[in-house]
Formats: sequence, structure tokens, C-alpha cells
Amino acid sequence: MNASAVPVWDLWPDGISWQPMSPKLRTVWVLRSLLNVLILAVIAAVPLTIWLGWDGLLWTLAGYVLLACLRALAVSRTVRTWGYAERDQDLLVRHGLLTRRLSIVPYGRIQLIDLSAGPIERMFGLTTVQVRTAALGSTTEVPGLDPQVAAALRDRLAVRAAEVREGL
Amino acid sequence: MSAEAGEVRGDEPAPPLAPAPFGPAPYTPSAPPEGMQRQRLHPLTPLLESVRFLTAAAAAVGIQMFTSRNFLFAVYAAVAAAVVGGIASLIALQFRGFVIWGRELHIYGGVFTRSHRTVPLDRLQSVDLVRPLRARVFGLAQLNIEVAGGDGTDARLAYLKHDRALELRSELLSIAGRPGAAPRAENLEASAEEVSEGPAPLVPPVTVRKLALASLLEALPVQVTALLIFGTAFTVIGSIFGFTKVATALWFGFLAPALLGYVQSTVATVNRFLRNCRFRITRDGGNLLIERGLTDTSHETVPVDRVTAVSFDEPILWRRKDWRRVEVWTAAVAQASGSVVRSTTALPVGEPTEVATVAAQAVPELPSVFAVERPPRRARWRMPLRWKRTGAGLDEKVFVVRHGWWVNTHVAVPYARIQSVRVVQGPIQRLQGLATVHAMTAGGIGHTARAAHRDVGEAVAMAAELRKRADAAAALEAPRLS
Repeated sequence: MNASAVPVWDLWPDGISWQPMSPKLRTVWVLRSLLNVLILAVIAAVPLTIWLGWDGLLWTLAGYVLLACLRALAVSRTVRTWGYAERDQDLLVRHGLLTRRLSIVPYGRIQLIDLSAGPIERMFGLTTVQVRTAALGSTTEVPGLDPQVAAALRDRLAVRAAEVREGL
Repeated sequence: MSAEAGEVRGDEPAPPLAPAPFGPAPYTPSAPPEGMQRQRLHPLTPLLESVRFLTAAAAAVGIQMFTSRNFLFAVYAAVAAAVVGGIASLIALQFRGFVIWGRELHIYGGVFTRSHRTVPLDRLQSVDLVRPLRARVFGLAQLNIEVAGGDGTDARLAYLKHDRALELRSELLSIAGRPGAAPRAENLEASAEEVSEGPAPLVPPVTVRKLALASLLEALPVQVTALLIFGTAFTVIGSIFGFTKVATALWFGFLAPALLGYVQSTVATVNRFLRNCRFRITRDGGNLLIERGLTDTSHETVPVDRVTAVSFDEPILWRRKDWRRVEVWTAAVAQASGSVVRSTTALPVGEPTEVATVAAQAVPELPSVFAVERPPRRARWRMPLRWKRTGAGLDEKVFVVRHGWWVNTHVAVPYARIQSVRVVQGPIQRLQGLATVHAMTAGGIGHTARAAHRDVGEAVAMAAELRKRADAAAALEAPRLS
């Protein structure tokens, strides 16, 4: 069907100017997925080695390379779907390759704004902004921003949240 | 990107402060003077609190007595328990108590680990009077005090004499400036029966017969289906393998746990019936007061301006009778008890007129019958049974979604209560050009109104419209901090 080609966020009535994430985000996430697959491979290597002898290690290596390639491909495509936009009244965040999500957080409902950075993110100088509302389990993340951009975004959000204050 | 990053340096001055917060001046804690006379809890409190331990001990002693035929042992045990328990209770009572000091309630407790809890009454959400069975035997009651922003370990005053508890409740509410306190103050000496006076109930009391029939009708389809599945499975397994070891193994491995779940659900139904007996709902100023329970009486207070959503449940066999149940969602309920309780029952079962009355009281001008639009026909194969009973609609004041087959539910969220909006599109939905809209309200994870499988264009337009209406509705309201 034709509709499947158009991501859900492109159907938004007014045009939105999406801000992209930092280009370094792809590197970070690919590295992270490689690391995750490596941990999996190490766990899988033990029984395989016991079962097949030293051939098991080769098999693990082959499996790792294959899985890591696929994963890296998927992750690098996913990164491109991330984007955020600041409108007059709300913050829009879009992401997702298979399952597409578009979150809309009104400034007036923001309760908490967190900045966080994992070890790999820190190596590349990236920061994640997390926005929480009073609805539990609905944390909205804007990952992979340069620290200055993240701090500026947080300050803008905080100011807007204090200006437009809406209740629960 | 780099230009923007250049402008904004890390050491830029902090943004200007927001204007002073709305509402009363911020709360500053203070301690009452040391010599302040504490009010005591009822002397039977330690006994009632250790009732489980005492029962276990009594059972152990009883077994010992009958096996060894030594009846003197029981006498010794009883005397020892009485002496030790009495002394321990006396000591414990010295350290327990509460003080109302200014606009705060101080609760003291603990012998070895002293505790002192300060409850700011300005932020009082509700005071619930609860009467567990063991306390009712002695004419005692317990007060559960809920404070805004509480983390579930809300303050508890247990146990007090029933009329003393009522008196204290109205005192606390009047200190907190809640209008709910005023009528209560007049009948301070009210006993358990006289409490039922005061403002007239919104709906005629639900008779036990009606409630029992409703519970039965609600549980029946589930029970019959479960029994049918069990029966069929057992017969099929039996006839294939013969009722031999294999069948027994399967029975214990697979069916017995399922049967346990079945028994549990039956017990839950009976419990719910008992809890909803003698149901009474009244409107008292800005609060809905709910009083219910056959064995454990409980009083609940729902502040109307904190209602985040109203849901109308219609189990499958109630349809013919046109009965519905009304549940009220508040953020406080979800915080206090995790994911178990999502809502407060505002009407266990009612006719359309009663449902309409309660709905209009819970949220001003809320209708009880909604026009919702079904998802497009191409979504039908994904939910063949539910499709006819699924839908979403943008009402004048509320966002309405409808879902469920066993229990068909309408959830109505006032636009002003919508926190954030989300549009989610799964891979299969993408092929079909569908998307799901989530409207989240304050509180637990279950507090989300979900419009499933809308046409993708409609879904996005709906999300945009929800945001617009939420802003418009919120702008009409006075801002609130808590």
C-alpha cells in the first residue's frame, strides 16, 4: 500500500521542521550494539566450545560477525528516524523503524527534565535529554545531542514549562 | 548546528526565574514543643496489630495441648502471654500517639526505633475511615491519611474509637480547609448508624440482590468458559492417553495451576461483592464521599477536581439489562497502591439514569452516553469480536475511547487532564495504514486512553486536535500546583 511508505509523522497537518540528532549518534549506537552482541557471543561461546571443541569458537566468531553486521545495519537505519521539533506549545519527538512512535509533550505538563549520558555517549560527547510528565511510564527521550544543544534545549523547556503551567 | 552551538555557551547566565508559585505560601515544617500532650491511640491497638501473630501462637499452643494432653500448659501460656503482652502494650502505648500542631499532624510511634512523621495538612488529599473486621468487633476504626505527592507509605492512625475517628477526620479536614468537613462537624457524637445521615446519597442504595445478580452475571461467562475449557481439555487428554499416569502428570503440570487461577478469580469476585455491599455515594462540597463494605467498611474521598478520567464498564451479560459500572480515575489512587488499584468504584452497578447522575457529579457536565466512531473496516480481522465495540470519539469536553469484548469499557478523559499524546504505528499497522493514538493522564501506567487502529491520517489529525483542545481546556482552568 502506498501509505506504508510515508512515516506516520509526515502526515502531521502543519509542516514541522524536524531537528536531526547529532551525526555522532550513529557511531555511538552502532558501537553499543556491537558491544551488546559481543556479550551475547561470549555467553554463547562457552557451550559451543564444550560441544564442538575449538571449532565452536570459529562458529561463534562467524555468528558474531553476521549478527553484528545485521544489527549495525538496523541501528544505523533507526538512528535516521529520530528527530525532534519544538513548536509553540509542545515538544514533538519521533523515532522508530519498525514501530513508529510520535510523542507530543506539552510544555505546560512537563514535570522533570533530566540530562544523562552513558559511558560510550560520554566518550563521544553526547547527552540525552529526558522529559517526564505526571503520567508514569511516559518518559520521552531526546538522545544524542551535543552537550551545549542539550543544555540549551533543557533551559528553553524549563522556561517554557514555568511560563505555561498546567495542572494534573 | 555548529552555528547554534557556538551561540549557546556552557557558561551563559541562567534563565530568569519563573514568577512566584501560585497558591498559598510554601510549607515550612516546625516541631511541636516537647512537653505537648500527645493524644493516645486506643489501648487495644497493640493487641489488634499483632492479631495474626496471636492467632498463630494460639494455634501452636492448641496443637501442643492436644498432642501432649497437657492442659496446664495452655493455662501457663495464656498467663505468660497476658502478662508479657500487657506490659509490652503498656510500654508501646507510651511512645505512640499523635499531636495536631498548627497546620500539621505529628504521628509518633515505635519503641526501639522511634518514628516521627509530620503530615502537612495543607497538602491533605483525603482522609479515609477504614474498619477492618477485627477492629469492628471492638468498635474501633482506622484513619488512612493521604497527602499529595505521597509515595504510598501514607500516614495511618490505628486504632481509634469509631466516633473519635469520625471526629478527628472532620477536624483534620476542617484544618485542611476542605469543605467536606463542615457538615460532619455537626454530628460529632454520631454513632456508627447515625453517620449514614448527612447529605442525601446521589443514587438510591444498590440492593444486595441487584449487586449479587450483577456480580453473578459478570462472573458467569468467564466461569462457564473456563470450566468448559478445563472439562474439554481433561476429557480430551483422558480419552487420548487413558486416565493414566501421563494424564495425571499433565493434569498437575498444566491444568492444576490454571484451576488455581480459576479459584482465585472466584474468590476475587466474591471479595469484590463483599466490598461493594452497602454502597453509598454522596457529594459533599468538592468531594465525592464513598462508603461501602460488608465485612470491612471503608470510606473513600475523591476530590472532584482531581478526577483524571471516568470509565464506564459493561460486562457482556449486563448489556441486556442496560447496567453499567462507573469507575473514577485519580492520580492519587494510582500512586498509593501501585498497579493493583487503578480506580475507585463510583457506582458498582446502575441503571442508565443513575450512571448519568454519578457521571455528571464526577466530572461537571459529563454525559454518560457517547457517540464513538469505529476503526476502519480493514482493521476488523485483527479484532473480529471486539471490532464492533471499539471506537474513539472527540466529544465536546472529553476524549472518549471504547474497547473490550468481555467487559466493554468507555473511558472518558476530560481534555484538560490529558498529559501527553502519542501516536504509535506497528509494522502490521503500517502495511494497513493504521495507527494507535494514546492519550496519557496523570498516574499509573494503566492510565492511558488508547484509540486503537485508527486510519493513519485520522490518527495524526486526532492527536493534533487533542493537543489543541487540551491547551484550550487547560487555559480555562486556574493553574494548580499539586
